Amino acid sequence: MATPLVEMRDISIAFGGIKAVDHASVEVYPGEVMGLLGHNGAGKSTLIKILSGAYRRDQGKIFVNGEEAHIENPRDAKDYGIETIYQTLALADNVDAAANLFLGREIMTGWGTLDDAAMEAKAREVMGRLNPNFRRFKEPVKSLSGGQRQSVAIARAILFEARILIMDEPTAALGPQETAQVGELIKQLKADGIGIFLISHDIHDVFDLADRVCVMKNGQVVGTAKTTDVTKDEVLGMIILGKCPPGAVPGPGAMAAAA
Amino acid sequence: MKKFATAILAGVAMTMALSTVAEAAGKTIAVSWKTFQEERWKTDEAAIKAAVEAAGDSYISTDAQGSAQKQAADIEGLISQRPDVILVVAFDSDAILPSIKAISDAGIKSIAYDVQFEDPNALYITFDNIGVGRIMAEEILKVQPEGNYAFIKGDKGDPNATFLFQGMMEVLKPSLDSGKIKNVCETFTDGWKPDNAQRNMEQCLTSTDNKVDAVLSENDGMASGVVAALEAQGLAGTVPVTGQDGDKAAINRVALGTQTVSVWKNSTDLGKVAAEAAIALANGDDVSSIKGVAKFSGGKNGVEMDSILLAPTPITKDNIDVAIEAGHITKEEACAGVKAGSVPACG
Amino acid sequence: MSKESASTPAAAPTKPLLSRFLAATEIDTRMLGMVAALFAIWCAFDIYSGFLRPNTGLFGGAFLTPRNLWTLLVQTSSIAVMTTGMVLVIVMRHIDLSVGSMLSLVAVAGAVLQVFILGPAIGVGHPAIWIAAVAACLVLGTLIGAMNGFLTAYAQIPAFIVTLGGLIAYSGVAFLLASGVTIAPMDKTYKIIGGGVPESWLGPTWSWALAFVACALIILAVANGRRQRKRFGFQMRPVWAEAVLATIGSAAVLGTTAVLTSYPWPFGLIRQYAADNDVTIPEGVENVNGDAICMAADRIVRCTEGLIYYTGYAAPVLVALAVGAAMSFIATRTKFGRYVYAIGGNPEAAELAGINTKMMTVKVFALMGFLVGVSSIIASARLDAATNALGQLNELFVIASAVIGGTSLAGGIGTIYGALLGALMMQSIQSGMALLNLPAAFQNIVVGTVLVFAVFVDQLYRRRVK
Repeated sequence: MATPLVEMRDISIAFGGIKAVDHASVEVYPGEVMGLLGHNGAGKSTLIKILSGAYRRDQGKIFVNGEEAHIENPRDAKDYGIETIYQTLALADNVDAAANLFLGREIMTGWGTLDDAAMEAKAREVMGRLNPNFRRFKEPVKSLSGGQRQSVAIARAILFEARILIMDEPTAALGPQETAQVGELIKQLKADGIGIFLISHDIHDVFDLADRVCVMKNGQVVGTAKTTDVTKDEVLGMIILGKCPPGAVPGPGAMAAAA
Repeated sequence: MKKFATAILAGVAMTMALSTVAEAAGKTIAVSWKTFQEERWKTDEAAIKAAVEAAGDSYISTDAQGSAQKQAADIEGLISQRPDVILVVAFDSDAILPSIKAISDAGIKSIAYDVQFEDPNALYITFDNIGVGRIMAEEILKVQPEGNYAFIKGDKGDPNATFLFQGMMEVLKPSLDSGKIKNVCETFTDGWKPDNAQRNMEQCLTSTDNKVDAVLSENDGMASGVVAALEAQGLAGTVPVTGQDGDKAAINRVALGTQTVSVWKNSTDLGKVAAEAAIALANGDDVSSIKGVAKFSGGKNGVEMDSILLAPTPITKDNIDVAIEAGHITKEEACAGVKAGSVPACG
Repeated sequence: MSKESASTPAAAPTKPLLSRFLAATEIDTRMLGMVAALFAIWCAFDIYSGFLRPNTGLFGGAFLTPRNLWTLLVQTSSIAVMTTGMVLVIVMRHIDLSVGSMLSLVAVAGAVLQVFILGPAIGVGHPAIWIAAVAACLVLGTLIGAMNGFLTAYAQIPAFIVTLGGLIAYSGVAFLLASGVTIAPMDKTYKIIGGGVPESWLGPTWSWALAFVACALIILAVANGRRQRKRFGFQMRPVWAEAVLATIGSAAVLGTTAVLTSYPWPFGLIRQYAADNDVTIPEGVENVNGDAICMAADRIVRCTEGLIYYTGYAAPVLVALAVGAAMSFIATRTKFGRYVYAIGGNPEAAELAGINTKMMTVKVFALMGFLVGVSSIIASARLDAATNALGQLNELFVIASAVIGGTSLAGGIGTIYGALLGALMMQSIQSGMALLNLPAAFQNIVVGTVLVFAVFVDQLYRRRVK
């Protein structure tokens, strides 16, 4: 197969002696959706925060397009085209949608001042694609509904032509209709050749959208499998028991008996 | 553990050394200071120490660092060193009383230095505080016997602000009653702060349309604010202003003519008088034989006690040399910016 | 898709005229309320003071006179400058309790430098003295502020504790630096910044020139905003609303200028100036209530038609206005300001967006310190002296002004202009009561009550707007 778009190899991180992530490896290819599954506290969010630069790993390497990447903070990650939509949405509640979309990467005028009009115009364009009904550009995002906030968060991630998109529980705060819309969006992004990490503790959210799944338990990778090679029940077994089925490639966290 | 033992040994050695010194050099005069946070106490201490050592006696002291509790402990410590007289600058004039009784019980004489505590056995030495207000009023009446007077008083929580005002009123009452002078503004000043005094003076000038003929400011710091407010109206130098403390900047203003008088309580004098009184008491002299001693009962509870009340010095244009000769201020500081020939002391 | 997103057309035509007007002009109604309250307070003071002692004010009192309003602005300057910085500190979810003590320390340090060190060394009045003193105050303030910020951001001590420590410690340093004495007088040129001498008054000609420049900038800003929105084809305000905004802004500037330029120099200063500059004083008839001076039978007297000068903007007011404009610009038009607000709204989100929040904390505190430096210059120049008592408790007034001006202690919300209005309101109350000769204790009660009441009204307002 081709070079992975991004590869995290043998990553470990510990917080106060507790190994949150323990020798985990995972990769995603262009146009692929990789589902990261596991219980709350399995280490999937921590692993992905290392990729997005929020945490600094203790050990391991990250490769982007086969070349070693140096990611020390969120800005570094963005420079590699890695964008993240956090579980907590991570929006500044008190400023408007455009300010959130461009936070940290503002458009400036020739005078070195903020070009709010240009940012609003771009925001309108992007939001128009995601959520055509959205009109509340002048209000702080605090006053928006969960779905509207989610579309702002997604818009922010795709605004800067991300190559790798990390979505941490993207549908947790949404109703069924909005969830379906996010699904459509993911398919669209996939078609554009973007590699996506989709993180969830709920297998149903992920199974239909993902090309492959990677299951984590206690900070270790149980196994990785194509969604076509395993059943939902088998994946549930991986999540709950750490039992790696025959269709999956076992990781260091797989139960010894199964290996 | 070993360190601890060494420390104890060192402490014992030091105490022994101290007591040997005390016996060798005749009498011992002790002072319990309330704080050294304010500049002036260093001046007092220097004066007392110099007088005591000049008499061949020895000086010991403690600093209560602004705590009534620490001061009580300090005095216990001083008593155990058996001095002949203890001078006390009380941090809290009520809380100190049990300690003063302990001093008497140990057969040691006590002196209330500058701050009164009402114990009939103690000698109280201070400046005549009500007199300060009186002197201010007298000095201002000399130059401006009639017209509109403004009163910039100190902080409302400080009894001294009221004492000073009482002193002023004693002198001004006849003129106020006869209508020769009129009280047009009278304000307390939060925290005795010069910037507050400046604002109060500005508002006083606004409300009276500058019709103010004299300003009685209760200290020099506030006088600086008053003079700044007058200056902005082109009135500095024409409207007399009072103050007290003998601040260097205020003495300079007196020389420049923008302030009329700064009533100065010369701490060196106070320290010297107190040290001499202490030495006399240590030598067994009777209180009544000390120069200047009189009965005083003007305290909060009216307890009658022996006292020496020193008269403060009004510093005006004509006697700035007094402060210069006392080493309180240099001629350069006092005369900065003064036109030649306008002030005697500046030449 | 969701209901609320569809229901936000600007203003339905059925709404009453006032709300249509407010919607079209996008005026901050909260600010409108504050301005109204301020005017109400002013009028009340004027009426009451006129009742005690008639004067030339709008309602026969001494408050709404050019002189008092002029003084009021000068008195507000020092606090106003610090308030603009405090808004950003509070917006970032921090607090700076040390500004008052820091002001003492910086003012005393600047005074020690000019009076004790440079004066004797290079001669009193040397032009380098005031420049060195100003620079020293600004640098020292910035450094102390940066230290506060560093301890908060990198040593991760809460700002409340760091600056509470500063509140206690800096005043001690100020005391030791000057051994507790008052240092005076300041350098003659330095003093100009304080506004107490004629050299620091702009005069009518320059005041009006400045006012017209300000009006031109306001109109330009409105036009530019419109052009920007046109560029991207956004919905625009109606032309009449733009015109109303430009007119209100210009009227405020021109009105202020008219008031300030109608305050004449004090009588004594006119006479002094005439004597120093050999100005011929015209003949005239004596009138003790006049503001001008005349020659009447070889005697200089007060009169109504004669030699007269007017003050106009005073230096500290100009400094405060310039700081206010610059800080508004920083808060709303620069990345720095945007980040301050974003951090206040959600520090984690800002961090994840790649903003160096720790460095931002250091910078905001350093900016606060710089502004304290500016204020210390104004305060000591105005008093013509520096002491360790100068500035004490100012932190309370600075924080109160910011809060009255609508800054939320929870962070994320606050405007510079609101805080400036807050500072003006606090000072109006204090000065007004001093004018009425009310006891200091009573002043404290009223100021405290107003603070709590203002926040209460603000809460009601916010809840209703929601």
